[in-house]
Amino acid sequence: MALIELQEVSKLYGFGDATTLALDEVTLSIEKGQFVAVMGPSGSGKTTLMNILGLLDRPTHGPYVLDGRHVSRLRSNQQAKVRRDRIGFVFQSYNLLTRLNVLENVALPLAYRGMTPVRRQKQASDMLERVGLREREYFFPRHLSGGQAQRAAIARALINKPSIIIADEPTGNLDSTDSKVVMELFADIHRQGNTILLVTHNPELTRYAERVLYMHDGMIVGDETTAIGNMARGARKTYFERRKVSDDDIVAGVSALMRDVPGKELAAKSDSEKGRSKKSTSKRRTRKVKR
Amino acid sequence: MWSGNVKAAVNSLRTSKWRSLLTMLGIIIGVSSVVTIVSLGQGLKNQILGQINQLGSDVVTVRSGKIVNEDNGGGSSLNFLGLFSASTLSDADVTALKELPSAKAVVPMAFVTNSAKSGNSQLDNVFVIGTSPEMSQVLNQKVKYGEFFTQDSEDTNFAVIGPNIAHKIYGELNPVGQSIEVLGESFVIRGILSQSSGGLFSIAQTDFNSAVFIPFSHAKRLTDNRLNILQIVVRGQNPDNLDPTIEEVKKTLLSTHKGQENFSVLKQYELLSIASGVVNTITGFISGIAAISLLVGGIGIMNIMLVSVSERTREIGIRKALGATNRQILSQFLVEGMALSIGGGLIGIIASAVIYFGLRIYTDLQPVITLPVVALAVLVSVSLGIIFSVAPALKAARKDPIQALRGD
Repeated sequence: MALIELQEVSKLYGFGDATTLALDEVTLSIEKGQFVAVMGPSGSGKTTLMNILGLLDRPTHGPYVLDGRHVSRLRSNQQAKVRRDRIGFVFQSYNLLTRLNVLENVALPLAYRGMTPVRRQKQASDMLERVGLREREYFFPRHLSGGQAQRAAIARALINKPSIIIADEPTGNLDSTDSKVVMELFADIHRQGNTILLVTHNPELTRYAERVLYMHDGMIVGDETTAIGNMARGARKTYFERRKVSDDDIVAGVSALMRDVPGKELAAKSDSEKGRSKKSTSKRRTRKVKR
Repeated sequence: MWSGNVKAAVNSLRTSKWRSLLTMLGIIIGVSSVVTIVSLGQGLKNQILGQINQLGSDVVTVRSGKIVNEDNGGGSSLNFLGLFSASTLSDADVTALKELPSAKAVVPMAFVTNSAKSGNSQLDNVFVIGTSPEMSQVLNQKVKYGEFFTQDSEDTNFAVIGPNIAHKIYGELNPVGQSIEVLGESFVIRGILSQSSGGLFSIAQTDFNSAVFIPFSHAKRLTDNRLNILQIVVRGQNPDNLDPTIEEVKKTLLSTHKGQENFSVLKQYELLSIASGVVNTITGFISGIAAISLLVGGIGIMNIMLVSVSERTREIGIRKALGATNRQILSQFLVEGMALSIGGGLIGIIASAVIYFGLRIYTDLQPVITLPVVALAVLVSVSLGIIFSVAPALKAARKDPIQALRGD
């Protein structure tokens, strides 16, 4: 049994003729201990996929099984507990809480588990030791360099011994030296048997991964197994220019939607998502321009 | 979890000290004013109750005007105007009451004038009261120097004065034997009363620090028989059971008043309970007004908490991504709001303690801060914190993690 199983999972935003398909029947399974890189142009659905895998968002259709458990339809409090115990997030902008010092930041997920302060500080301290930030424990995030902040964030992601670590462009804000330090840390974590899902724009980083997924228009268009240390073949070809949107594309997009989703069901589903529609149509278009 | 929340709340309040302090100000003002007003009322009541103990329990007071006093119901009111309007009690009443077998002593207190002269100085803040020698028996103030005029000397121009007057006119000298002039007639000072602890608020009229007593017969003569009798104090034969005396007094007065009940017959404690009832009402009323500032303070907290929630949208998103449940986010912001209001409450209590000592030291007021009042203040501020933080905390808890993470 794979750690992560997605069966034809779709995510729709908006309703009516303004519906956008952020994920289009994605079927995916990830084994425990894999280091998976996800590549694709902006707006290809990478972040939506991460949000669904990280239980921050719910799929519109399709089951998501994490560690043998159907999690996509859980109540939000249950999902929060799954996030707490099984998922570690690393963000592009570190997302450390500025009011807390490094130690408290790292210990935060343990606090939500109800662990006593003494124990969680001890564990957090050990974890900081592992990422080489022991002597920065009582620093505040604003006093850390980008690389140090990201390592603290990784320590926080690891603190609950999660089943999977989801890193969304963790080196996006870092210079090449810091990027290397952070990626070596990920490699180290991977060697200790952790499952890592890395979203990146940088083909170089596929050297750390053993499997690379390519996404386009909400679909996984390529799935390549690669040796660690080698850059993935597909990654070289990935182009990062923004795509021009022609009238044909728009027509094709709409017809694709009409084909994919049976009419009545769509209406019912999307009624509940009223209000988001305008925002997300424009978003879908502008996202390609924005990044 | 809770201790962590408290620490986090204090931490986040500390990062914006000025904002927190200004937010707490409403609660501080509300709590301190309510505590101060209640303590003043309590002090006032204590002073009145102290007077009950000083007075004999065997006296019945007859007052002009009908005082409505529902049985223990608290719905009592004192007709203050009765003190200043013409009295319905007359000399005839006094004479009639003196005939009663159950009355050991009948002491009329007739208002003569409110000014007296001595030498060159005119005194305007005095009550010149015509009374009988038995006054000394029902008076809660002892005669410190000299003595009260007696039955034998009733026709002599003798007067007994309160300590304040003695001090004002004669300073440290003992004025016994000096003279004081009332309505153009000279009276020899026979005695001086001791200082009463009654203080400023002597609604029960047992404070005679600024009074001049002259014999009843002279009062009658000086006012051309148009006596304004403030009250008649009747001392019963049997101190343990005053009810027959009261009945008799009522019956007698009804007959002299031709059936009209335009007077009141009161036991001392009834009189005082009316007075303290009035104090209670006033205290309650002013406290109610002060409590409005508590409400405004609570709304201030809600306002700031709402601002804080939208400022910290991103933090909420991060916390949710790390596995905080809605309930945990809710309790975080609830605790923060409560920290604001409890902090405000505590500072308010400290402020009212400062006011308390200030009042004790610099004024004649004797406020009393009791534990229940302080406990109530804490309770109110805690509940304000909870009530007014619920809406912001719910708003925080219900944020969608993805949108919150985007930080908008």
